[in-house]
Amino acid sequence: MSIIESSNLSKHYGSTKALDSLDIKIEAGEPVALVGPNGAGKTTFLSLICGFIRSSGGAVNVLGHTPGSQALSGRMSALPQDARFDPALSVGRQLTFYAQLQGMSSGAARREVARVLDVVKLPEVINDKSESLSHGMRKRVALAQALLGSPELILLDEPTAGIDPPNVKIIRDLIREQASNATFIISSHNLDELEKLCTSVVYLEKGKLVHMGPIDASDDVDYLTIRMQSVDEQLFVEACLALPGVVKVQRQTQGDYLIECNEDGAVDQSLLAMLAARGWSYRHLAKGRSLEERLYG
Amino acid sequence: MAVLTIARLELFRLFGTRRGWIATITLLLIWSMIIRFVIYPAANLINSSDSASLAGAILRHFDLDAITAWPSAEISLYWVLSLYLLPFFCVVIAADQIASDKFRGTLRYITLRTSRTTVFFGRFLGQAFIQFLLVAVTLVAVLALVAWLSPDQLSSVFGSVPIVMSNVFVVLLPYIALMSLVSVLAKSAIQAILFAIIAWILVLIVVGVVQSNFGEIEFLNWLLPGSQVSMLIKLSGWQTMQLAIIPLMQTGVLLTLGWFAMQRCDL
Repeated sequence: MSIIESSNLSKHYGSTKALDSLDIKIEAGEPVALVGPNGAGKTTFLSLICGFIRSSGGAVNVLGHTPGSQALSGRMSALPQDARFDPALSVGRQLTFYAQLQGMSSGAARREVARVLDVVKLPEVINDKSESLSHGMRKRVALAQALLGSPELILLDEPTAGIDPPNVKIIRDLIREQASNATFIISSHNLDELEKLCTSVVYLEKGKLVHMGPIDASDDVDYLTIRMQSVDEQLFVEACLALPGVVKVQRQTQGDYLIECNEDGAVDQSLLAMLAARGWSYRHLAKGRSLEERLYG
Repeated sequence: MAVLTIARLELFRLFGTRRGWIATITLLLIWSMIIRFVIYPAANLINSSDSASLAGAILRHFDLDAITAWPSAEISLYWVLSLYLLPFFCVVIAADQIASDKFRGTLRYITLRTSRTTVFFGRFLGQAFIQFLLVAVTLVAVLALVAWLSPDQLSSVFGSVPIVMSNVFVVLLPYIALMSLVSVLAKSAIQAILFAIIAWILVLIVVGVVQSNFGEIEFLNWLLPGSQVSMLIKLSGWQTMQLAIIPLMQTGVLLTLGWFAMQRCDL
């Protein structure tokens, strides 16, 4: 079942085309990564889906309804980028208000608020104002807001931007846990994180759809990506190039080595044998290129 | 019902938060000053037999003798002062119906769960409740003054309470609706107040220019909220409701414009 379907969807700001005739169909199921450089149209696309802005042309359908439709209340939720809670009201009061707007009675709303705050591991902040929380905690409370009423579709716009590693890990674990209950669409610049969470990717650039498909790089057979423990770069590159089937070895900016192979060889086996023979240790070995390398390499 | 849930939260934002209490207490202090230093001495002056005829003559001179038709001097003074002063309080209190939530992004959380129409009218309804309560509180304070100064008039004053209450409330409705409209367009409460002032002045200028070029057009005289007040204070009793159609129509027009702006705006 497709949960989001857009046809010829466009959004213009004056002469700037934020989205340009986007045709997209996203199926329900595993988390979807929405990626692209700044200005690619990711936030615009999510804002159109949520009904925060109006399109300049084309149409988009969410769970069979137009964005902003009352029928989507409780079925779809979002963690919008930079949206903040009312600083005058406690976290619990606001979440209860949102749950009541979704049609829950006050008792059911209070129970649901306690549940989602437990899910994000912040039950103790129920009476706190959001301004008194750290940035990471505020994001987790905003994520709790998105989980109210167990929606079928959850859109997350930069859920971990500017957050410290412990909070990033908590949010990532949360998404992984909840992914069996809802379809997540996650927009982020953190491609490593998206690779860990998502099974498919939608890549936008200058408001256009450039690529859509599985995020898994296992079919990217011509490449190996390896992260080494301390090793002399020149020696390592030379040793790799000496292996049968290796065409090229390149050091990436993050410290990984990208090994390009021809189609014939089982290079991974000979690579491991070579590492063992030389006494070199590796930290991570993956078939294919990283998402970053495939999209921007 | 979502619209009542939103209206209820408006009441909580004013009466259940520290910021709201500060605003409410400030308003009540100002009104207690008005009652103590304006209504109380003026009512004493009018009630004294020596100056009653003089006050009556002055009011007759300005064609305002209907003011003396109210059952007590205190309620007469409250009637005039509330018609001119409460709109200012109303504009300040009702300024932040949408603006801050929209600028902060809180409105996105809300519109994920309910329609923009529900949010807009829920906030208006909440502000209308608030203004009704504030009018009631100020009126109760004046009744207390009547009970103290002129206890013999209290029963007849009670009879005029529904008239004053409903009139003042109806007069305030277009101000609330005006702030509903401008708060959709503004980024903060202060900006909403500035937009309201600018809109007010622009309408005055346009009406002035049109009327100086094309002669008196009566319809234009009723464009601005409160435009009927100068006529209203010349009436008393239930006669005053004759003019209620003007603020009600202004409210309808302003709410329609505000609703339209709300549907069109980006969040």
